[in-house]
Amino acid sequence: MDGQAQIVVERVNHTYRPPRGRPVLALSDISLDIRPREFLALLGPSGCGKSTLLYLVGGFLPIEAGRILVEGKPVAAPGPDRGIVFQHFALFPWKTVRGNVLYGLERQGLPRPEREKRAQAFIDMVGLHGFEDSYPSQLSGGMRQRTAIARTLAIDPSILLMDEPFGALDAQTRSLMQTELLKIWQRSPKTVIFVTHDVQEAVYLAERVAVMSARPGRVKAIVETKFPNRDPSILRSKEFVEKVDQLWNMVRDEAIKAQEATGS
Amino acid sequence: MAGLEGQATDQATLAEAEARISHDALRRFDDIFRRGAGAFSILALLVAWEVFARSGKVTPFMLPPFSVVAERIYTDAFHGDLWINLGLTLYRALTGFFIAAIGGVTLGALMSRSRLVRWFFDPLISVGFPMPKIAFLPIIILWLGLYDISKISMVVFDAIFPVVTATLAGIAGVDKALIWSGRNMGAGERQMMWQIILPAALPQILTGLQVALPIALIVAIIAEMAMGGYGLGGAMMTASRYANSPGVFAGIVEIAVVGYILIKAMAFIRRRLLVWHTETAPS
Repeated sequence: MDGQAQIVVERVNHTYRPPRGRPVLALSDISLDIRPREFLALLGPSGCGKSTLLYLVGGFLPIEAGRILVEGKPVAAPGPDRGIVFQHFALFPWKTVRGNVLYGLERQGLPRPEREKRAQAFIDMVGLHGFEDSYPSQLSGGMRQRTAIARTLAIDPSILLMDEPFGALDAQTRSLMQTELLKIWQRSPKTVIFVTHDVQEAVYLAERVAVMSARPGRVKAIVETKFPNRDPSILRSKEFVEKVDQLWNMVRDEAIKAQEATGS
Repeated sequence: MAGLEGQATDQATLAEAEARISHDALRRFDDIFRRGAGAFSILALLVAWEVFARSGKVTPFMLPPFSVVAERIYTDAFHGDLWINLGLTLYRALTGFFIAAIGGVTLGALMSRSRLVRWFFDPLISVGFPMPKIAFLPIIILWLGLYDISKISMVVFDAIFPVVTATLAGIAGVDKALIWSGRNMGAGERQMMWQIILPAALPQILTGLQVALPIALIVAIIAEMAMGGYGLGGAMMTASRYANSPGVFAGIVEIAVVGYILIKAMAFIRRRLLVWHTETAPS
């Protein structure tokens, strides 16, 4: 499997150093292989460092110990091969939907007609036709996240890093967005690392779930969560419910530990 | 039975409609009141001025009635130096303001990027901001003389501080995820500054400019008063020297009007530049 892994995380440690107070070991000895076009969820209680691991793969934080290889090359900086979607969208509020989607394409130096065409295609794909000239402040949370997804997909990354992308959305919108993300992923398969603390979301979306322990974050277990299809109807199937139950028990243990550790 | 019920509903909807109408009327009244409130207090002040000045409790020399001052402004505008004075004051204040704006944003941006620049300028700003810059006026006169350049320098010297501090605070407050998004999509250092960081910090930078603009006008007028010559401040001092009471009060009114127009213009520019911002989004 090593030979075909697209992302290799090897013995990575990370220490979080707050401006005041003691440094905290956020990630401890993380090793993980991710295959091309795989949908992997990082599941764990809040504060376990799963977002930190995502930022390290993205090249946003310096790697202090261990190494991370993408396509065999060590990660040194952010790059358009690894697109990221944040929980709070991180749209450029002074740009319209179209302006946001165009930005990455401008940076890549695509000729104007081509980037206009490409931007429009992705705006249509996420269902925002008719909202091209709206500013993010005029959109609902779900529409903002659609814009962010279109903006990231437009630069055509081979790897999609998603940091609790649906965490700020209401339950109905979240479930719609999950189904749409699966559709997009099935149409143009990319390697996805999806950070979440929602067990059902992880099991529904991912092919494999890496369960992380409470701080310092370790990979506690990797669970296969492949199902014959990804219809919303599987949510009520016996296998699905059992899988959720199994993972939920693991996460709950860690959440309890995390609470005890913080003394609350 | 059915008829009674129907009647009851009719009454209910009628009451609702009435409530809605009175609510609408109330809101319209509220709108008019709020819009008119600013003008009302100024009008009240002017009326009180006029009445008090004509009451005989003060001499026209101490307080000429507003109508006399208004007449004086009218004469100045058509037969006097009002436009020269006004133009010179605006030229000094606005030139100084623009230099302070560009210099302040540049310095703030450089300080946020380079530790060395920040290390050097941080203490200077902390000491300089609360200092009364007007104390440097004699030195500026010695160095730069009595003409426009010294007055504009005073304006820059005073107005640059709020711009630098607002730019620094604005840049420091830019969401990390926005910066990471820019990096992720391939923005280089310069593009990050021009295309991501400065636009994201724009609301706060504009707040700094909105503070700096009245300062620029105030300092231009004080410098004119101290150095004499043409300009609204200089004209007031000349009028005062000739014991020309309406002339002095005319200067006050002119300055008030100019300041009001400048502030409104700045607020208008802010709204235009920040159409995307939640503060200007129609609710």
